[in-house]
Amino acid sequence: MPDKLDVKQGTLALMILKTLESLGALHGYGIARRIEETSGHRLSLNYGTLYPALLKLEQEGAIVAEWRQSENNRRAKFYSLTAAGRKQLARETRDWHETAELIAAFLTPRRGREA
Amino acid sequence: MAVVGWIRVALARVAGFFSGSRRDDDLQEELRAHVEMATAENIRRGMDADAARRAAMLESGGVTQAAEAVRDRRGLPWLDGIVADVKYAARSLRHSRAFTSVVIITLALGIGANTAIFSVVRAVLLKPLPHRDGDRLVYLRQSMDGPGGENLNFSVPEVTDFRGGVKSLGGIAEYSTWTITMRGDREAERVNVGLVTGNYFEVMGLSPILGRVTRPSDDGPGVPAVMVLTHEFWMKRFGGDTSIVGKQIKTETGSATVIGVLQPAPTFPTRMDALMNMVVSKHHLSAQMVQGRTHRMTEVVARLASGSSLEQARTEVNAVYARMQGDHKDSYDPNSHYRVAVIPFKVALGERARLTLWLLMAAAAFVLIISAANVVNLTLMRGVRREQELVVRAALGAGVLRLRRLMVVENLLLTLTGAALGVVFAVGGVRLLTSLAQRYSTRSNEIRLDFAVLGFALALSTGVALLLSFVASLPKEGTFGSWIAAGARRTTGGVRRQRLQRGLVVAQIAVSVVLLAGAGLLTRTMVQLSEVNTGLKTEQVLAIPAQLLSLGDGDFSRVMQGDAAAKEGYDRISREIRALPGVVAVGVGSTIPLRGGNVGFEVKAEGRVLAVGEAVPRAEVRTADPEYFHAAGIPLLRGRSFAATDRRGAGSVVVINQALADKLFRGQDPVGKRVAWTGDVLRFTPFSGDWRTIVGVVGNTRDGGLDAEYPPAMYMPFAQELAIGGGIVVRADSNIAALTAAATRIVRAIAPTVPLGQVMTIAEIKSQALSPRRLNAALVSSFGMLAVIIAAVGIAGVLAFSVSARTNEIGVRMSLGADSGRVQRMILGEGGVLLVSGLVLGVVGAFFGAGVMRGLLFGVAPHDPATFAGVALLMSLIGVVACWIPALRAARIDPAIAMRA
Repeated sequence: MPDKLDVKQGTLALMILKTLESLGALHGYGIARRIEETSGHRLSLNYGTLYPALLKLEQEGAIVAEWRQSENNRRAKFYSLTAAGRKQLARETRDWHETAELIAAFLTPRRGREA
Repeated sequence: MAVVGWIRVALARVAGFFSGSRRDDDLQEELRAHVEMATAENIRRGMDADAARRAAMLESGGVTQAAEAVRDRRGLPWLDGIVADVKYAARSLRHSRAFTSVVIITLALGIGANTAIFSVVRAVLLKPLPHRDGDRLVYLRQSMDGPGGENLNFSVPEVTDFRGGVKSLGGIAEYSTWTITMRGDREAERVNVGLVTGNYFEVMGLSPILGRVTRPSDDGPGVPAVMVLTHEFWMKRFGGDTSIVGKQIKTETGSATVIGVLQPAPTFPTRMDALMNMVVSKHHLSAQMVQGRTHRMTEVVARLASGSSLEQARTEVNAVYARMQGDHKDSYDPNSHYRVAVIPFKVALGERARLTLWLLMAAAAFVLIISAANVVNLTLMRGVRREQELVVRAALGAGVLRLRRLMVVENLLLTLTGAALGVVFAVGGVRLLTSLAQRYSTRSNEIRLDFAVLGFALALSTGVALLLSFVASLPKEGTFGSWIAAGARRTTGGVRRQRLQRGLVVAQIAVSVVLLAGAGLLTRTMVQLSEVNTGLKTEQVLAIPAQLLSLGDGDFSRVMQGDAAAKEGYDRISREIRALPGVVAVGVGSTIPLRGGNVGFEVKAEGRVLAVGEAVPRAEVRTADPEYFHAAGIPLLRGRSFAATDRRGAGSVVVINQALADKLFRGQDPVGKRVAWTGDVLRFTPFSGDWRTIVGVVGNTRDGGLDAEYPPAMYMPFAQELAIGGGIVVRADSNIAALTAAATRIVRAIAPTVPLGQVMTIAEIKSQALSPRRLNAALVSSFGMLAVIIAAVGIAGVLAFSVSARTNEIGVRMSLGADSGRVQRMILGEGGVLLVSGLVLGVVGAFFGAGVMRGLLFGVAPHDPATFAGVALLMSLIGVVACWIPALRAARIDPAIAMRA
């Protein structure tokens, strides 16, 4: 198995929210799969990481959970975004872009300075 | 996160904590679904079922860890942990039942004793007074040298001088203790009242809970008599009847209107049932009382003026007093050292209780120290046995913090259980202590186990628990590895721990010795006091206090009119009691032996001039009928007793006691000499200052208290003077107590309206006088014995532990030729060192500490060598026995078994 990255603290919540926004209600396994696929299998999510994060979002009121039948007739807990969750997603997306730009600006060597 | 968000999470967590198990099932199912989906996916990719499942599990991580992570996130993990710790601790304590019960009982005794005594100390000495700004109240006390001189009270002119001259006292209130006889539907009863000035309640800062209190318009003559009931009396006598206000109370001189009920508050210097205005006593309004500088009947309480300090008040009072003494030289004999003290009222209220209570508090604290030390020792030993358990827990991932928390929880469980049991003990103890405190302070009815006291118990037990949790050594974070490696076979717990254990044992013994020494001194005091020669030939004398002559409103001319009737009543009572079977003698006098009368005046002897610097001699005023001395068992030393011929109109004669004879006529025969009452104060009394011829000398009696000097006394013939006081003494040839009922019946029949004091024998009076001391000595002694037992258990425990830890070594020694005697001596030696160190420390400590007890001792020096030797001997004996038990066990060790262990 190739070396996989651990999910960075704080980014997982954003990934979960984004996944739920694009795919609608989804169970934990589906969320994990989707995040791994989107990352091109560079990320690995074990459920010791995933489920506490889901619980935290649930406690914060960003997502709600509900038991339902899955596509292949299994009982599974489905998570979906709440209005508050959508707002949080929008805010965190914006924050993240800003942070990313900032970091990028920092890390990209400026042409003028290059010797 | 916003505050709202934070609260939401917190609420969710609390909910999660309480719905834990349901949520757990939920989570398990969710995780199972997860694994199944992953497995299905893997099978779809072509794995066989087993491999698919294994891969799925591997990918997902451990179920347990995940569940743990979610659980930490979901509920309140620390609380979850504590609940688990409590369960665990309870289980582990249940398993070591002996340890647990010893610790709990030890702590319960320690905490119980402290809680009970603290509740008394708080109520009597510490709690703020219920009076408004009670810390601004001061009590003024005038005293002088000599018997009866500790508290002279003040006269009205003296108070007037203070009121005019001391600016730092904002208000000065006067009051006198007085008794009235309440007549009503029931038997006549004596009521202790305070006659107060109208500003009394204002100065005291007290308010009524019903009706009103007295005010300046209630002062002076010609106003109706009014009465304010104290809260205690109102509850006790009138059952808290709220319709009492406005009712009339019949007294011997008329009636008084109840105008109010006072808030609960202590009275001083004695317990009072009601407070009345001065009009109740004509005497208090008479010119003699108002103008006589030496007519001292008034207690004085004052309130510091705002902005003035106690020091200022003291300085000013002393300045005014010095001026007073200069202006009225006749009223203040310079050789008797008249002085005035300004004492905070709260201090005055606790004055007599202070030393005793702090002593008991210290003794109880010592017991707690010893029991805590014992528990620490037990915990240390148990800690060693538990080390392996802790090592295993550490190996399984418990951090130092986690282990420490477990210990705190476990120790809290122990100490709180101990405290709960201790509070139960305290409830019983408080009752006993209240009866002790009653003898010392009028604040004793404020004693209760309230929240402050329970908080005290809680603080004590928490303190002990923390102490216990932090003496056990845990490694520093990060050094667990070496601890785990070493932990497997360490059983004696290292040098540091051993030193601590030994130190604790030495401290226990030392503290026990100090306590025992205190107990010994108090017990000897008690014995000395009970062996004090009372001066009486026998104590099998029945004493009946019955005052037939009513002092009424204090108007002497009217009192005189009742005198003949009273004397006739006494005659009839004496005659009838004398007719009872077995009665040998019946006497009537002003006082009852060992009770004393407490009224004394200055005396002079004919032809005797005071030496330079000699205080004017004083003597107690007493009367006696011809049979009094014989009946009371007071020995006649010289001359004769009174005779029937010493009646009114005959020559004035007196009998004096030996103490007065020594004072006035050292080395001479006083019989035939003449003496007289003297001093300005005579003007206010029914006694003349004429010369009286001494006809006899009687022995001294301990009437001022068993630990006091013999008070000088002068007896006048009962028939020649006013029938004051009223003590009937009865002597019989057999069991005197059996006569109590019959004699009481006779008095009741002849004087039905007279309130009767408690009828008891002189022996009972003596025993009653001793009872607070006895209780005191018994309490400190039981603390001492308790301490010794705990210390003995402590030393035996530590040695036993050392023996069991050294079993292997002892086995080796024995197989190399040491016989059992040698092993025994080795262990005894180990204990002996501890014992001797403790003894030496304890004796030194007691030697320095005993000085503070001086005021409580009688007939024994604080450094009494016999007591100290006895205490050291007792402690050594118990200590040696305690050492012997483990030593014997060591000697019985079988080397073959020991070495294999």
